[in-house]
Amino acid sequence: MLHADNVVKSFGALRALDRFTLDVAAGEIVGLVGHNGAGKSTFVDVLCGLVRPDSGKVTIGGRPPRAARSDVGVAPQQIALYLSATAREHLRLFGHLAGLRRRTLATATDEVVDALRLADFLDQRVGLLSGGQQRRVQAATALLHRPRLLLMDEPTAGADPQTRQSLLTALRRRADAGTAILYTTHYLPELADLGATVAVAQRGRIIARGTSEHLLDGLPGTVCLRTDGAEEVRMRTTDPARTLLSLLANARGEIHEIDIHKPSLDDLYHSLAG
Amino acid sequence: MTDSLRRIAALTRHNTILRLRDPGPFLSYLVMPMVVMLALQPVYRRAFPDGTIQIATGMLVIFSVLALSIVGTATLTERSWHTWDRLRSTPVTITELLLGKMLPVYAVLVLQQSILLVYGITILGMRPSDTYWLPVVAIAVWGATLLAVGAALAAVVRSHGELSAITDIGALVLTTLGGAFVPTTTFPHWLQAVAPASPGYWAMRMLQAALRGDVPETLAPALVLLLVGGSAAVFACWRLSRDWGRATMV
Repeated sequence: MLHADNVVKSFGALRALDRFTLDVAAGEIVGLVGHNGAGKSTFVDVLCGLVRPDSGKVTIGGRPPRAARSDVGVAPQQIALYLSATAREHLRLFGHLAGLRRRTLATATDEVVDALRLADFLDQRVGLLSGGQQRRVQAATALLHRPRLLLMDEPTAGADPQTRQSLLTALRRRADAGTAILYTTHYLPELADLGATVAVAQRGRIIARGTSEHLLDGLPGTVCLRTDGAEEVRMRTTDPARTLLSLLANARGEIHEIDIHKPSLDDLYHSLAG
Repeated sequence: MTDSLRRIAALTRHNTILRLRDPGPFLSYLVMPMVVMLALQPVYRRAFPDGTIQIATGMLVIFSVLALSIVGTATLTERSWHTWDRLRSTPVTITELLLGKMLPVYAVLVLQQSILLVYGITILGMRPSDTYWLPVVAIAVWGATLLAVGAALAAVVRSHGELSAITDIGALVLTTLGGAFVPTTTFPHWLQAVAPASPGYWAMRMLQAALRGDVPETLAPALVLLLVGGSAAVFACWRLSRDWGRATMV
């Protein structure tokens, strides 16, 4: 669905994207992670048609980004809403701009209102809503027209757990229905909740790409043993079973607690991005 | 209706709602000139042969230029709310976006000028000629010029404060130079020579000629203003179609 091949974009002396290559298939959720300045938001801007790459090729459903805008739903990193308009007015505006007519717009509105639980504040002005509620309205404008590609740029930044959960559930459902989703975040456990594959960006390029299991394979986890006679013993290891047996054999006193931490996406991110 | 017209209609409706929710600037630029016209009319009638026309058209021009801030704010707010890039991420084109954005603001400008003109006729006793279509043309042209200049201004300023400073200073300088306070014939010679550099000068000439029913004297300044407005519109479109939304906002 989304194909980006060796995309380069510079802003003056700063090379924001440096041979950035990424594919997202229909029904796939790709978690794009990386430090601030890794090129994630610039890549999203390229996909939105807001920034023209210096070189490389980007297609969405086989078309260049500007021609494919009706196939794309965007939830930008910053809140981008009219503070004096209501949530319903936003949905009407973005629905019409996406080409939805009366009946389909009404159906689509009901669907996102239900999925993101907007009913309680649908007719309130957005400027009076909490940050989490604004996030939900913003996500709703992206989901409304059932786009084939969803670009979610840190959509849960500053959101409460309830907002986060309702959004993740809605996205998972969309992916199950065939929507390709590019999801940038700094909050890596969300990607596990979404069942997303992972792409790690650093200095404008993708340095690792695959499923969580594939990328975590070979990374060290942690084995932790607590006894009443000794202090806590903690070891990083790629072979937790053997390490645990070794720790147990050498342990003195009664064993109170054993913890085995598998490597997480945080560990992966830190090992790759430094 | 084509998809393009539907998108323009959706944007126009949305922007009309936004304008209606913020009526303060419009009301102040409507009430203030009415009060000033009423207070100064006796002085102007004594001072100038066409004193009533001078005060009515002068205040109309001054306060319609001040209303540039409405045009500028309408555009600049899109940037401070980050909605400009959001809209550009949809299938809407830059032309559709500007039309949908500007049509309600144009309606505000035309409404303001029309009400002030009707006020001048009904309350101040101004006597226009029978050629009623001429003032309509004049208001339409002056509104379009202001709209384009306001959009161009909004495309270059970096903050609402900057916009406010430029519109306030610019409005007073340009309208004074254009003869909105007193006729340019009362200016020193060197200032009379400079006056045509101000769009306010052409607006005053056009409006006063329209009220007299002088067709050629109305249309000639109208052409000058359309040229100014057209240039500003081209600049605004060019600037806004680039990475304006991502530009630094103070």
